[in-house]
Amino acid sequence: MSETPTTPAESTPRTTPRAAGKSVPIFSIGRVHTIASSTVTQLVRMKTFYFLLAFALVVVAVGNFNIPATPAKELSMIKKVAFGTMDIFAWLFAIVATALLIPKDVEDRTLYTILAKPVRRIEYLLGKLGGVLAVIAISLVAMYAICAAVIFSRESLFVSAEYQSMVASGQYTGAEIEEQLSLIRSQGLRAELGIAVLASFFKAAVVAVVTIFLSTFASSSLFTIIVSVLLFLIGHAHHMASSFWLDESGNSVLVQMLVKVVKVLIPNYQLFSFSEGIVQGEAVVAALVWQMGGLTSGYLIVFLLLSLLVFVDKEF
Amino acid sequence: MSEPAVEVKNLTKVFSLGLRKEYVVAVDNLSFEVKAGEVYGLIGPNGSGKSTTMKVVLGLMAASKGSAKVFGLDSGDIRARNEIGFLPENPYFYKHLSGAETLRFYGKLCGLKGAALKDRIGELLKLVDLEGAANRRLAGYSKGMLQRIGLAQSLIQNPRLVILDEPTAGVDPVGSRQIRDLIMRLRDEGYTVFLCSHLLEQVQEVCDRVGIIFKGRMRREGTLDELIEIENQTSMTIENATPELIAGIHELIRSSKGARLIEEGHSRTSLEHLFIQIAERNREGES
Repeated sequence: MSETPTTPAESTPRTTPRAAGKSVPIFSIGRVHTIASSTVTQLVRMKTFYFLLAFALVVVAVGNFNIPATPAKELSMIKKVAFGTMDIFAWLFAIVATALLIPKDVEDRTLYTILAKPVRRIEYLLGKLGGVLAVIAISLVAMYAICAAVIFSRESLFVSAEYQSMVASGQYTGAEIEEQLSLIRSQGLRAELGIAVLASFFKAAVVAVVTIFLSTFASSSLFTIIVSVLLFLIGHAHHMASSFWLDESGNSVLVQMLVKVVKVLIPNYQLFSFSEGIVQGEAVVAALVWQMGGLTSGYLIVFLLLSLLVFVDKEF
Repeated sequence: MSEPAVEVKNLTKVFSLGLRKEYVVAVDNLSFEVKAGEVYGLIGPNGSGKSTTMKVVLGLMAASKGSAKVFGLDSGDIRARNEIGFLPENPYFYKHLSGAETLRFYGKLCGLKGAALKDRIGELLKLVDLEGAANRRLAGYSKGMLQRIGLAQSLIQNPRLVILDEPTAGVDPVGSRQIRDLIMRLRDEGYTVFLCSHLLEQVQEVCDRVGIIFKGRMRREGTLDELIEIENQTSMTIENATPELIAGIHELIRSSKGARLIEEGHSRTSLEHLFIQIAERNREGES
């Protein structure tokens, strides 16, 4: 469109202002949804999903790598690498994508125009978090689909090759062949692997909310990313730090108190590592999954409240 | 008398500088009113406290002392935000959204939906002359187009008050005139407009009343005529005057006790008007 020097809208209808003010609901799920949808669109149009290509390359490469081991062990190795990579991509994406959102809105002054509308600050924070969580969920589902395709194709290949080889040798009974094939299948694609994806989602959600909290007072995206990664690493050393610093009687009270404070303030990301057992074929304990869901919700609520405490009176 | 659109009373805003315990007074005991239906211009040099005052009125900042009200509501009250449309200086909206998507986003934030929102978007795109660029992403918009889509988003919920921070900053004279025309149109349609600028000519053209702020304090305030008239001087612009008439006027001035001719010459257009005339002529020639 060209910019003509004519008076715009000479023939447009009148756009008269309202005569009186309108009430604003205390909380609007519609506004949260609008901000969340816009965040999803923003992240999608920033081409963040390109990282899925890198993930697909890693998984396909691992899937086609000939490891000198039994088919069951090879499948176990593929799963371990694929789900480990998925977990890393999920939390890394959670940190980078979240760290870009609020500081960028402040820097570009987009936040002024949003908060100048009847939008409460909690709605803005919830919208941003909701958007990031939606993108993480979509990414995890896509990564799981890639993993599932690779594992299923390798499993089918191994089962078929093993069956043909055992039948051709003529040394095995039907029961023995079935037992061997079951062993391979136990390391293949199973419904329980979905729980491992859920565990990665829980962890990424906690990482995202901690990053949101940091970005409410951080001055730049870079600072937020660095501190979030540091907290993530510290969060993985919870158990080690407790057993070393708290159980050692020689440590001073100050050090012990410091470790206790860190334990309270920084989420224990090690708790979410239960997915590793599931990937290796261990049974899923439903109670543990519910417990982890509850813990994730707790972290989300606490860090959202902390974010709100900082953000509610923040001046722009 | 109707309720003022904006009522700022004894507003003071102090910023602390980091941990050094040093303070800067950005706004100092400022008081003024913007009447409903008028175009009020707050002018002053950079750093005079205009934008800080505006942010307090918008609820983006809290006052250190004093108060700011919008149609009787405290500026921190979220209901006040429903009455305000805001266009920041050099607006950067989400570049990944198109013009129409931008208006849809802000409309939804204001609780609009369905056919009402669709109609409002169409109406505003027409108002700001961006119907042809409705589906283009903002990353491809010129500065003038960004200002106009910004003005459209500020009007999305039909607010009673429109706050504009340097609305023509960085825009070329043609785009600048379009925005000025839109402001005049808004006034004619009953909106209250409160604008901050340091472009005096622009303020002179559109504002009913003006406040001059310097170092956070109101220095002068009043209607444009009150502020710029020189009481003991009179100017006349005569068209098609003969040399005899001019000579007669000179004679009259000479014969009047105490009167003195200060300046005489042909009327001149402004460089801006000349630029626009040439641009219009060239465009007409092309079409």
